[in-house]
Amino acid sequence: MIFVTVGNHYQGFDRLIKKVDEIASRTSYDILIQKGYSRYCPQSARYFDFVPIQTAMDYIRTSELVISHAGIGTIILCKEHGIPLILLPRKKKYGEHGTDHQVEIVKAIEERRDDYIFVVYEEDQLEGKIAEVLTIKQKPVPRVNMGRANLINTIRAFIQEGER
Amino acid sequence: MKKTKKIGLVCSAGGHYTEMLQLWEAFEEYPKFLLTYREVTTKDQKGAYFVENIFRGPLAFIKGVGRIFMILLKERPDILFSTGSEIAAPAFYFGKFLFGTKLIYLECSAQVFLPSLTGRCVYPITDLFLVQWEPLLRKYGPKAKYVGGLI
Repeated sequence: MIFVTVGNHYQGFDRLIKKVDEIASRTSYDILIQKGYSRYCPQSARYFDFVPIQTAMDYIRTSELVISHAGIGTIILCKEHGIPLILLPRKKKYGEHGTDHQVEIVKAIEERRDDYIFVVYEEDQLEGKIAEVLTIKQKPVPRVNMGRANLINTIRAFIQEGER
Repeated sequence: MKKTKKIGLVCSAGGHYTEMLQLWEAFEEYPKFLLTYREVTTKDQKGAYFVENIFRGPLAFIKGVGRIFMILLKERPDILFSTGSEIAAPAFYFGKFLFGTKLIYLECSAQVFLPSLTGRCVYPITDLFLVQWEPLLRKYGPKAKYVGGLI
């Protein structure tokens, strides 16, 4: 399954939903879309608006590929479970977010060259990228997240100050 | 022996909530409660107080901020930890000035080069202030720390 998700942001992301639905109408991909506050309702792909986070985690874990806005939650979960991810950043000029910080996030990720996180800047590049990613035979390796471990240790040390 | 510290965890829904769940382990053996927005994504969370999104309108703002105050009054946490976003601001200011709570703020991973509005708003009163991208250190004062990020 390909899981498409646009998160909880109050503005919709019709540009991504429409493009994915168009791809669904002429391919055999099994696509499930979380459309959030987007107004466009898919005509070819299965979709829903929101689900509890545990259900969304299950969809991500069992997907062959995830396509998403550049939302932090989805990036964290795909990395944690080793799921290939294609990101299309929301843009301010299309009324998809209040700022262009999603463009900054994908640029920073591209610079770091993370395995199995792919970026497209325009929706027209999406179909080619899906085909490319699905042909990669090698599976991503879930890696230890040292950033997370360091954050946990730093927070714990702060809490424990003055306890002994 | 000093009593065990009580921790209040504060975050909005979406990525901020996912970030909170990623760090849950840090608070494992402490008594704690979560304060978040009532959304489809968060509604199954155990041990949580839910408030309506405070940005839904002036009435929601007054009701939400009032409820946040009542929750803090009841729980009296020793430490508040937040992954953002704006829901942290009233909780942190009430906590700091009315209850003497220690404050930990983690700037969201979405802020690579520029501070968030909430980050700027709570930075002056926060005791431990963490950012998730190294370039962001330049935008905050010497109190900000970078030890790593979640993405």
